[in-house]
Amino acid sequence: MWKSNVIAWKCHRIALGPIFLGLTFVAYAQDTQLPNKKDSVKFAVIGDNGTGTKAEYEIGKRLAASREKFPFEFVVMMGDNLYGGEAPKDFVEKFEKPYKAVLDGGVKFYASLGNHDDASRQISYEKFNMGGKHYYSFKPKNGVRFFSLDSNYMDKKQLDWLEGELKTSLSDWKIVYFHHPIYSSGEKHGSNVELRSTLEPLMVKYGVDVVLSGHEHFYERIQPQKRIHYFIVGSSGKLRDGNIGKTALTAKGFDRDNAFMLAEITGDQMFFQVISRTGQTVDWGSIRRAEKISKSTDSK
Amino acid sequence: MSTTRVALIAILMAVPANSQRRPDDPAVKDFNDRVQQYWDLHKKIEDKAPPVDKKKEPDPAAIVAHEQALANGIRASRKNAAEGAIFTPAAAKSFVAMIHQALSSGRGDAARGLVLGEGNPKNPKSAAKIDLMVNSKYPPHAPVSTMPPSLLLNLPKLPEGLEYRFVGRNLILYDSKANLIVDILRNAIR
Repeated sequence: MWKSNVIAWKCHRIALGPIFLGLTFVAYAQDTQLPNKKDSVKFAVIGDNGTGTKAEYEIGKRLAASREKFPFEFVVMMGDNLYGGEAPKDFVEKFEKPYKAVLDGGVKFYASLGNHDDASRQISYEKFNMGGKHYYSFKPKNGVRFFSLDSNYMDKKQLDWLEGELKTSLSDWKIVYFHHPIYSSGEKHGSNVELRSTLEPLMVKYGVDVVLSGHEHFYERIQPQKRIHYFIVGSSGKLRDGNIGKTALTAKGFDRDNAFMLAEITGDQMFFQVISRTGQTVDWGSIRRAEKISKSTDSK
Repeated sequence: MSTTRVALIAILMAVPANSQRRPDDPAVKDFNDRVQQYWDLHKKIEDKAPPVDKKKEPDPAAIVAHEQALANGIRASRKNAAEGAIFTPAAAKSFVAMIHQALSSGRGDAARGLVLGEGNPKNPKSAAKIDLMVNSKYPPHAPVSTMPPSLLLNLPKLPEGLEYRFVGRNLILYDSKANLIVDILRNAIR
């Protein structure tokens, strides 16, 4: 039987009492609220980040600070990795500098392509780890596989590749990420229904657990749809203040400041924490991986 | 039957049969031949461009140098290429029909919204200056339009690296490896 539940965590510091409430909030805001287990898969999520603006640099610093307490090994990027020009200096100013501390720590970034990205330049760029491809998959550890898609150009070749990859993957956790969200409460864009009608049947059939996207310049956690958990992380550089509309889709939204996400997979649970530019935790919790109806049989 | 096939069949059933890829259409066959000729030229010139590690190049300057050498070589070889050299009048007629039918049936409204929406560089919300000319580069500040899967499934397949994109209502044939506009079909959405 499939199970999917979101568990809000208790913030024990709240119990310290009203006298310390202000101090507690500051400490709480800067803490990492994740289990931080030894053999877990730890990663971060950023999206729509490549602005080269102060906001991107501040998120970069916050990301580095988080890593001191939560040593994530890689970062997945939701696209729009470099806005505007993509000259060599832009790779430096809009990527290498903002995330220098994290890159210097050996963290790998795995990019997907947004509608503002120059694919030919980015797919070959070593630090984006795309291996010269518009879409690819990687397995950071046994039991977890990520699938990075190019939602700008979802042709038959890519769909066939995705089906083949999903079908042959024996990973317990299947996490798919791409730029355009297929569920969204954004007032500017909203759900990409066209893409949904193509991708969702595949993702449901092959037991995708989590879908990560960007494009909308805010953070939104969507109510599970057909047993899949959806997150939008599109405000790590850009921000569309107050753009989350009122819909039944929203489990939690944050559109007042820039943000990024930390996540940890351990066993059948994925814990997540979303942190704003100022260091406040704006969402956190865990999801439980759904039990698969049927397992694939080959050896991937 | 695979999910993809089910989805594809559903999409294709939503579109009248005569709008599909028309493999027997002489105009489409001629288009495919012209695309292949272009791609042969692309590969020949790419072999002479400064080397780059296509899978993991550490130096962005090397990537840019490779792309620009490729684009310059193609421009030089196709300096007399005119609009319609690949989208010939006969091919244009077939493409307009295929696009029209794909965007006016089944999921057509959603697809049309995607093509002409915010991602399109001629949309007022994301307006960007583009000189729509054969052999010109796609400007770095302009977004690329998102191509609806239902439409892509109905257009002739292209070699990897060559793409269809919309700029306003115009369909372009875009060489993404050289960042070059190869041909233009004006007013493709009618």
